[in-house]
Amino acid sequence: MKAILTLLAASLLLAKLQAAWAQEETLRLPKSIEAGSAFLIEHSGGGEGTLYIVGPSQVLKRDVKAEGAVYFPARSLYDAGHYNVIFTQASGTKSGSFDVAPISAPDKLSFFANPSRLPIGVKHGITGAVYVFDAYGNLITAPTPVSFELSSPSGGIQKDRATTSIGRAWTEMDSTSQQGSGKFVAQVGELKSERIIRQVPGDPCTLKMNAQQAGQQVQLQTEPVRDCSGNAIPDGTIVTFTETYAGGQSTVDVPLKRDVAEVKLPLHSGAKFTVASGVVLGNQIGWQK
Amino acid sequence: MKKSEPLESWERPIPLSLLFMVALAVHLPLLLMKLPLQSYDTNFHIFFSSHYVDHWFDPWNTKWFAGFSQATYPPMPHYWIAVLSRIMGLDLAYMAVQMIAILLLVVGVYRFSLLWVRPRAASIAALASIFLGSESFLIYNAGQLPTTTAAPLYLIALPFLYEWLRHGHGRPFIKATVLFIAAAAGHHLTLLFGSFIFALPVVGLALLDRRDGESTSASLILGRAIAIVSAVSVIIGVVLLPFWLSLLHHPIDQTTIPHASRANFILSPEWGLNYFILPYGALILAVPFIFIRGSSETRLRPLLFGFWVTFILGLGGTTPLGHWLLGHAFEVLTMERFSYWAGLLALPFVGLLSVKLIDRFRFWAVGSLAVMAVWTCAMGVAWGTYRITNARDVNVNVVADWLNRGGHDQYRYFTLGFGNSISRLAVMTDASSVDGEWYTGRLLPELTRYGGASLTQAKYFGTAGLESLRAIMMHADKYGLKWIFSNDPYYDPLLSLAGWRPVDYLDNKTITVWAKDGVPPAMPVNVAQRPPRWQGLIWGTLPFGSSILAILVFLIPERRRKQTRAEYPMSEDEVETQRVAS
Amino acid sequence: MKKGGLLALSLAIATVALIVIGCVWPVQAALPFIIQKPLLTSSSTPEAAVQVLGQEIQAHNWAKAYEAFANKAQFTEPEFELDLTGYTTNLRTYSTLDHFKAWPLHASADEADIRLELDWATVVGTSVMTRDLHVVRTGDHWNVNWPLTKQPIVPPQVIPVNYLRWDVIYRGAGDDWGAQDVNAPSVRIIDMHPVQRADGVVVMGELLNDDVVPAYVSMSAILQAKDKSPIAKEEAFDKISHVLLPKQITPFLIQFPDVRLSQVDSIDMKPFSILVPASADPVIAIDNEKFNPSPNASLTGQLINQSGQVVNVAHVLGTLYDKSGQLVWVVDQYVDSALLPQTPVAFNIQIPDDIAKKVSTERTVVATFSFGGLL
Repeated sequence: MKAILTLLAASLLLAKLQAAWAQEETLRLPKSIEAGSAFLIEHSGGGEGTLYIVGPSQVLKRDVKAEGAVYFPARSLYDAGHYNVIFTQASGTKSGSFDVAPISAPDKLSFFANPSRLPIGVKHGITGAVYVFDAYGNLITAPTPVSFELSSPSGGIQKDRATTSIGRAWTEMDSTSQQGSGKFVAQVGELKSERIIRQVPGDPCTLKMNAQQAGQQVQLQTEPVRDCSGNAIPDGTIVTFTETYAGGQSTVDVPLKRDVAEVKLPLHSGAKFTVASGVVLGNQIGWQK
Repeated sequence: MKKSEPLESWERPIPLSLLFMVALAVHLPLLLMKLPLQSYDTNFHIFFSSHYVDHWFDPWNTKWFAGFSQATYPPMPHYWIAVLSRIMGLDLAYMAVQMIAILLLVVGVYRFSLLWVRPRAASIAALASIFLGSESFLIYNAGQLPTTTAAPLYLIALPFLYEWLRHGHGRPFIKATVLFIAAAAGHHLTLLFGSFIFALPVVGLALLDRRDGESTSASLILGRAIAIVSAVSVIIGVVLLPFWLSLLHHPIDQTTIPHASRANFILSPEWGLNYFILPYGALILAVPFIFIRGSSETRLRPLLFGFWVTFILGLGGTTPLGHWLLGHAFEVLTMERFSYWAGLLALPFVGLLSVKLIDRFRFWAVGSLAVMAVWTCAMGVAWGTYRITNARDVNVNVVADWLNRGGHDQYRYFTLGFGNSISRLAVMTDASSVDGEWYTGRLLPELTRYGGASLTQAKYFGTAGLESLRAIMMHADKYGLKWIFSNDPYYDPLLSLAGWRPVDYLDNKTITVWAKDGVPPAMPVNVAQRPPRWQGLIWGTLPFGSSILAILVFLIPERRRKQTRAEYPMSEDEVETQRVAS
Repeated sequence: MKKGGLLALSLAIATVALIVIGCVWPVQAALPFIIQKPLLTSSSTPEAAVQVLGQEIQAHNWAKAYEAFANKAQFTEPEFELDLTGYTTNLRTYSTLDHFKAWPLHASADEADIRLELDWATVVGTSVMTRDLHVVRTGDHWNVNWPLTKQPIVPPQVIPVNYLRWDVIYRGAGDDWGAQDVNAPSVRIIDMHPVQRADGVVVMGELLNDDVVPAYVSMSAILQAKDKSPIAKEEAFDKISHVLLPKQITPFLIQFPDVRLSQVDSIDMKPFSILVPASADPVIAIDNEKFNPSPNASLTGQLINQSGQVVNVAHVLGTLYDKSGQLVWVVDQYVDSALLPQTPVAFNIQIPDDIAKKVSTERTVVATFSFGGLL
């Protein structure tokens, strides 16, 4: 009997404590959930009301009929951020908050590689910045290791590793001495993002032309035009031939074709031929008939 | 013994109801076919109306000239189109307002003619107004809705003016005043020049008639004239206050734009055909009669003088009179409206001449007059088909679609070789243009400095037009001007070599879209010139309200006075019959 | 005569008088619409014969003008028309004759030489054509010998074109924001020089395409006062070659009317470049280029189209340097003849005398336009 009474008293005490707890904590919220996961919000105190969940880019509203738990299935909340919960009833309003965190598994990389095209031999000329996102497009702010790899046209590879800070990581690479397209890859786990960096020749290094008579004209032809690393200057690059003679001058802007530029200019006794490309001057030839 | 029945029908005035039916029979099918859409200015007026549909109380329109004030043009017909467009769309609303103007003209000409001739001749004059070449020319070729709306109101008001001058009663004073104001709200120039052209002959007539019937002193008549002029001036000053303020802030000091109505019609006969032969038509044959009859009858002399001055002004640069009388205004005004007014002043004479011919030649006269009237009207209507006034083949729909998609309307645009279609395009797109057709409203110095008209027709204005084109293209960045739609390869070398790039082709490659790279999106321009809100309220209320008031006032019944023959001394060759309307 | 009759007569006389005055002394507003119709039907003097010819050309009365030629047996009427409007579409094809001037060079009893200057209003400005006409007496009137410029004949041939063309694929509108795009070409101002002229400040210089891809360039400048507030912003408009192939240099000239250089503290130059599809064709050679010193200083030469593609409009931009290689001025001229393959076309650009004194060397580039080769 004593035991029964003791049990009854204990039950009453527990019930009393539960009731007291329920009056103070009418909303029971998770502290944090992962984006897209299912979750429960429990409320006690009875009565009908409306539950609002307000976040950075999402708002949810549920009509609550009776005391108990409100179940939110998976994908209900998918934008990471801080969410406020407001429960309104005829008797008053209760509120609370919780966080939605990005999924820890990366799903997508935004990889900014700049520039798309640069001359060869530029130190720290290539920059790459990576932003890591989860499946819902939330920036993953937790530190995440990222590896960068730039394969140059010559076959050489530059590598770098970085860890994201507030969701981003970056690196700098050098352009190599050989022209061509290089693959610039950023990788997080199995996720890869690839960009093409085109390394283009620099200014012509030595611009040299030859001249020979062709009837009443002089045929001028450059030697294959290359930069200081030996890369061929791209076709289409303008080479300017100028003939200066007593009382006049002739000029032609000729695009390079198969590494050389050639032109025919009228033959004048005592003429002087010069060649240039951009701001680079080549050799000069004097011509005596 | 007389065969009374046929004779009576010849001698009877044509009832107004029949005149209305004729007007509807002639013009309603043409308007329902939307023929005026091919004219110079119809789309321009529809464009103005389209703005009021969405911005009733804001005359600032950003679709042209990077922003301009519509308070530079009296708005009454535009507001009516905007109202009716809610029911029938803009095009048909325009046609409806134009039809109403035609019907009002019948009433106006009849009432005005009654001042000078008997009802039978007046009714024939009213019938002739339906076939008036200049009316058809203005409606179907020039598209001058405000002019053709304001003139009837003015004509309707003139008999009230006469009554006020002669008898001094309050009712005609109020009616005349309200109708004058409504006319001014429709077209300011009609009132400004109508005062001299139409009202002065009526004042002269009142002075000539002052001893007939109820005798009135000349000083009293002049005093009454001054009183009504003062009242009308003050009220118009208030009703069109934003217009006057706009004129005050931006006086018309733009470089003059050549207009063919100011040409010498003998030295440039092609324009003589356009601006003299077409508007007058068979009326030219009546000119000797007008001179002889107007001179021989003392009572008709004021009308003759009014006609003569207007007729000469309508000849544009054929005579120096316009230059002498109007000064700088001659360089700004288009003169075809004077031919229209001269035609209206000639109609009482036409009525007299017709009566005379019909009485003498009966069926032959009726037949001949009918043929001449129909021919005159038909040529006025059809002229646009023979002399293309508009770049009709330009498909502005595709241009509007292009502008309205993909954020293209964030930038400004203009067209080349689109003719008058730019108004149509402006109605259809939300994008803002630096060009436009209302030259008085222009504020951009690149457009006002050189003497070119719209950019779209720059080449027709020679060096002036092309300089203006170059100037606006040079300041593309400033105005957010990114697109040029060219329908004319003439401009291609300039566009290409000035740094514009073709980016798209439209309408079977007939239109090239040129773009300038690196232009920032359009920002508001000339914001300081925007009329303040209170002006918008006046603009949206008073001019339109004045037309409502005119309708209400016109419905007030007239005081019946005993008419005596002495009060309306008529020509001897006119048969006296009862008046059918007043 | 009755009073009314007198009034009618007076009005009629006044009307006629006003019309006569209007025709004899037309008002200013009527002048633009009066096409100069040949009022002189008989060419009683050499000058009158040339005047009539000018009026006929202005009115496009090719047949009438042709009929009056003394040497019409040497060419046909269409050849005469094409001689003036261009055998191949060019600037003059769509232009109108704005005005003309004629002055005698030499005259005798039976023949005379008269220079006719025709000023054509073209889309890019006035194009002046000068012809020296030999006028001969035939009975009581004079006839013009028209110096027809024969259409240069290009022999039928196939010219293989294997010049480069660059095409560009930009990122798509729906691409992710991190997706890669192609960078704008790198361009560099290699010279810049402001000068004060009578009508304002002129900023000129040279712009280099420093990249390996073609660039569509434009150049604008903002004049700034001491407090860095902008005084004016203008752009080079057509005083620049807008398409630059790799390593190509263009001069530019930006005019700031009504601004004094003394007001200007700094100049913010804003070169703009964008990657566009382009072709290395056509190649234009500038032959016999010559600076002719004062008086009547000019830059002359010949353009030779070395490609097979017809160039309808060519714009010559000349850069003038002093002895130290410093840029002193930029001149330009639109050539009003089409450039046919391998056919020289002369240009002659006037240079202000005060600038000509400083000029030591020059450099010329040519911008071209071909109808139908837009996109």
